[in-house]
Amino acid sequence: MWCPVYAQDKREEITARGKIDSLRRFADGALTENRRKDFIDALYECSSCGQCHVVCPVRINTHELWEQARLSLVNAGIPQPAGQIKQLAAIKEFDNPLGKPRNERSRWAQVAWKAGLLKSPVPLWRERPAPVIYFSGCMASYEPTLQPIAVQSARLLQEAGVDFAILGEDEPCCMSKLRRMGDPTFPQEAQKRADQLARMGADTIVVSCAGCYKGLRSDYARFWPRPQKVVHFSQYLDQLIREGRIHLKRKTPLVVTYHDPCHLGRHNQVYDQPRRVLQSVPGVKLVEMPRHRAFSSCCGMGGGLKTVSPEIQHKMAEARVREAESIGAGAIVTPCQTCYLGLLNGVKAAGDSGMKILHLNELLVRSLCPDIAHESVDSAFARAAP
Amino acid sequence: MVQIELVDFPKPWLLFDVMVGLSLVYMVIAFFRKWLGWGRGIVEAAAGPRDYKRSSMVWLNEVFFQRQLFALSFPRWLIHILIFYGFLGLALLPATAFILRATGYFALSNTLPYYYLHPEGYIFVKIWGDSFGLLLLVGLALASIRRFLLAEARQTSNQMDIMLLGLLLAVTLSGFVQEGLRLAPLPAEIVRYSYIGRLFSPPGTHTLEQLRPWLTACWTFHFLLVVTLIVYLPHSKLMHSLLAPVIIGLNAAEEYKREDLYWPDMKKYWETRSPQD
Repeated sequence: MWCPVYAQDKREEITARGKIDSLRRFADGALTENRRKDFIDALYECSSCGQCHVVCPVRINTHELWEQARLSLVNAGIPQPAGQIKQLAAIKEFDNPLGKPRNERSRWAQVAWKAGLLKSPVPLWRERPAPVIYFSGCMASYEPTLQPIAVQSARLLQEAGVDFAILGEDEPCCMSKLRRMGDPTFPQEAQKRADQLARMGADTIVVSCAGCYKGLRSDYARFWPRPQKVVHFSQYLDQLIREGRIHLKRKTPLVVTYHDPCHLGRHNQVYDQPRRVLQSVPGVKLVEMPRHRAFSSCCGMGGGLKTVSPEIQHKMAEARVREAESIGAGAIVTPCQTCYLGLLNGVKAAGDSGMKILHLNELLVRSLCPDIAHESVDSAFARAAP
Repeated sequence: MVQIELVDFPKPWLLFDVMVGLSLVYMVIAFFRKWLGWGRGIVEAAAGPRDYKRSSMVWLNEVFFQRQLFALSFPRWLIHILIFYGFLGLALLPATAFILRATGYFALSNTLPYYYLHPEGYIFVKIWGDSFGLLLLVGLALASIRRFLLAEARQTSNQMDIMLLGLLLAVTLSGFVQEGLRLAPLPAEIVRYSYIGRLFSPPGTHTLEQLRPWLTACWTFHFLLVVTLIVYLPHSKLMHSLLAPVIIGLNAAEEYKREDLYWPDMKKYWETRSPQD
């Protein structure tokens, strides 16, 4: 039972085989009205995690197929589910899925500086361009639960002496959700953003969201006007640690397991660097879950699934939490802010679980600069709340 | 050298050649029509340079050794490999006869067709046929047990599975029954080469004269089943036996570098694989 959605909702239409069978019949006009509805529901009740790509005997790139099928349906006049349409509208109108104003995008950096959580103010690109752009993404910029991740990322870059800047209100949404949900305007929107970012001429764009990383690195591959280095924050941390620019000294005794985000692992083959980062934290013992690396079980946050079926997402994340419990891990660590949110839902759904969910940054700051551990940032932001 | 006389009985060769020829033409046309349907998709060029040597190695490993299946699930691999090589080996017998008989029509060669189609090649043909038939039979039996007794029922595959497994079993068993009938009038020293076929011989003593109508009927029934299989193939799950190597080749040419997809390091794979399957 490879499909993590099917594991929670035993309808065969959901599996890769079921979807392909329905897709074939749909294309031939041979689906009954009821099965047509089931097929469309199943197509969107999929987190596009790519597990079926890995276990497919002929390695069909299934997540590309599902996204392309969604696009084809929309082009044929069959729209996405209502929840996704609403989210897509917010992304297009506000340049973020939360519908927040653009001028609040860098508020986290200002609050963090005022609260003494950073070594220096984070420069805005338009005021002081730098070789490295830290691209925090919509969720870490606006979502209070995730803002500590942006703050910690900026602080870790400062600790390593990286010359970087953020884009502030010039930071665009990567629009990868448009691709995930089959919106036909994705190519134009992606082209605009690739041109905008390329014009800035930064050497490296460091992205802390796995979804943005997939967007900028994989989805934008044909839109960049010239080759652009895009790295995930965990890869960049690995590089900084290996270059000796980050020294982790303080012991953090904890048995942890690593959750591979789909967009980082299966979709971009980033498996080793985050694990190396984890293992470089003194006192941390890494244990692997039965399903890890290419077989990592999705937490359900991708592909627009959560918008369509939050209860399935909760069950998927709960299953992941139970898997971590089964190997005696004290915490699940992930370098993806979206998975982080998703796994927190899993702990809530589990009810009786004492499993801790930690972002990869959290482990590093506990060892390097514990003054900006998640709770400290949370309380500083709570004090600064209007 | 064993002196062997072929068990001769009337065979409708003209019907055989026409039916097999037509069914093969139909299979190719049906395959082509399906291919045109698949061609409706969007064609995108693969990114990056291709390494044909490395992707060919991936292809060989995936098609002939079915490496991914071996790593994911040994029982599934065993079933698959038994059916794959059993079917391939058995298909080569009539295919070779069909081709060699055709070369005979056109007087292209004498030695090989003569050896293959006459008593001198008997032992080779019998051992070959029985061995690959046994592989197929065991594979099909295991597949039936796994599919219908052990695995969860799947509505989208059950009908196809029943039809295909039933047809393959019918072809294999009718082949062995035919073989058993053919062996019935022969002495034991010759029969022993058909070590599986002899198990299907009718009990008691029978003359060739008594068996001839049955032999003709069984031979015709067996090849008609084979023709049915060829005609059904493009519409069945067995289509993957033709398609999978093509798709594996195309996909491997694009993603051959992905170690998480093609597992060059089996040790690492065993450490990574899920215990769930």
